[in-house]
Amino acid sequence: MTTSTRTGRRAGAERTVASGGGRPGRRGPRRPPGLPWILPALVLSVGLIYYGIGYTGYISTLNWDGISPGPQHLGGQNYSRIMHDPVFWEAIRHTVVFFVVTFVVQTVLGLVFAVLMHAKIRLGAFYKVIVFIPVVLAPSIMAPVFRHMFAPDGELNWVLQHIGLGSLAQPWIGQTGTALPVIMFITIWEWTGVTFVLYYAAMTQIDPSVLEAARMDGAGNLRALVSIIWPEMRGTTTALAMLGAIGALKTFDVPYLVTIGGPNHATEFLGTYIYRQTIPLNHVGYGAALSIILLVVALLMALGLQFAGRRAER
Amino acid sequence: MLFEVRSRTGRIVLQIVATIMIIPFLFPLVAMVRGAFAGEGVKNFSAVLGVPGFGRFFVNSLIIAVTVIVLVYLVTMMAAFGFAKLHIRFREVYFWLLLACLTLPEVVLLAPLFVTDTKLGLYDTYWAVILPLAALQVPFAVLLTRNFINSLPNELFEAARVDGANSFRGFIYLVIPLTRPIAAAVIIFTLVASWNDYLFPLVFLQSPDLQTITLVPQFFVGEFSNDQTKILASAVITAIPEVIAYLSLQRLFERGLSAGAIK
Repeated sequence: MTTSTRTGRRAGAERTVASGGGRPGRRGPRRPPGLPWILPALVLSVGLIYYGIGYTGYISTLNWDGISPGPQHLGGQNYSRIMHDPVFWEAIRHTVVFFVVTFVVQTVLGLVFAVLMHAKIRLGAFYKVIVFIPVVLAPSIMAPVFRHMFAPDGELNWVLQHIGLGSLAQPWIGQTGTALPVIMFITIWEWTGVTFVLYYAAMTQIDPSVLEAARMDGAGNLRALVSIIWPEMRGTTTALAMLGAIGALKTFDVPYLVTIGGPNHATEFLGTYIYRQTIPLNHVGYGAALSIILLVVALLMALGLQFAGRRAER
Repeated sequence: MLFEVRSRTGRIVLQIVATIMIIPFLFPLVAMVRGAFAGEGVKNFSAVLGVPGFGRFFVNSLIIAVTVIVLVYLVTMMAAFGFAKLHIRFREVYFWLLLACLTLPEVVLLAPLFVTDTKLGLYDTYWAVILPLAALQVPFAVLLTRNFINSLPNELFEAARVDGANSFRGFIYLVIPLTRPIAAAVIIFTLVASWNDYLFPLVFLQSPDLQTITLVPQFFVGEFSNDQTKILASAVITAIPEVIAYLSLQRLFERGLSAGAIK
């Protein structure tokens, strides 16, 4: 989602086209009106989403259970309560750790898989399908599988016991220390396919003559990877960082279904916390204030990464 | 070839590395299938398939996914055409309004949509899920498609205009056929996003008649009071259509689902 760099480049390209063709400074024939064409999209998307955000903003100033009439107006009190809410800060901390770990591991795995596939190993097509199938499967359908797999009497402990590592067997999702790593494992399992496919495609774009030249100078495969291929793919890496960061902020399905945000909030994310406050606890006003904070964080982060990405490209 | 590994030992080492790396990816899939066949074996599957109304989940998911796709496709193609090739004052303002929606987590919409759906009588209908799902897919679909249409030469559209074709004809005879490659990507990621969505059906669909396949595991936790093997069998059955769809359209899926980060 490198939106602004893309639109920036696009706008530049269009200007060239419009002012080209031997008529410098003059635009082509006047185009017919386009507003009616974009209206359905605006009504559906901008209409529904901004209505929702505006409404959430209003609800966030209330002390409300979502049903009873005449809710009490609180002004900014929900927000100041959030600032002193330890669970909120824990959710933020989890999101940061989760993003850093999943992004780094996915990048390394995706990169190595892409390299291995380019080295034309045997059964490559089969490996690719196995890495990509998780992208397609719904997290909510896989959740019971992972609950089963990481259970005290589940497959993982069974394997550990049978390869002589029985001492490592433990209740993975039932204890605070291992629950978050389990959630991260599941996310990495789910999304490495995308990282891999993108790096694979980016590698095919690299000019072979550059690599050839490096080889002539005696650079080995590893050297070529580090000093030529990796820098060439910076654009892909930035885009993946952006996707990963937004994905981390949106995280809901996996922690909600596998660990219910627990044990003891150990896998609480903003998504699960907002859901918990809004639906089961009926603290709709408080949930709405959390939503607004989440939205602001997401927007600021997208803008920040966008600027960082643009500077890196220069 | 990007990497040259000529020596025999080198190739074997790479093969071993790949195999070790693939194990954690394969393991959950094996655990799923093994667990589904544990205990009563194939009977787990017939028990799941025999539950009345099981087929209903698939039908509902299909209805929702297809409607979302049609809605997103139509609205996106029109908007992308308007943004790319027609005259709009403050065009970039509208575009940025749309792009800002890209970062929106769906959980933010829960409370307002719940209240509004209840008022409008949309709660517990397909529309309560279809409309927000489509609304969340449109911004990115428009971004991708606008970039694509921008790369089509303006002369093409001008020539059509000179020949007396209005915007509508230009849309039908130029935009629709020429955007096929990008439309495939849009359709695939919209399909997967709506088919796999969990939160909206969870909150907005109450009657079992309307619920989607992503709610199947919970349904079976109730139905078989925690008989793990049956729950895993139901997971296998619900996963099969997705795996088949992916295997038969591999390249489209890989391109469509990676579109999120393609430049």
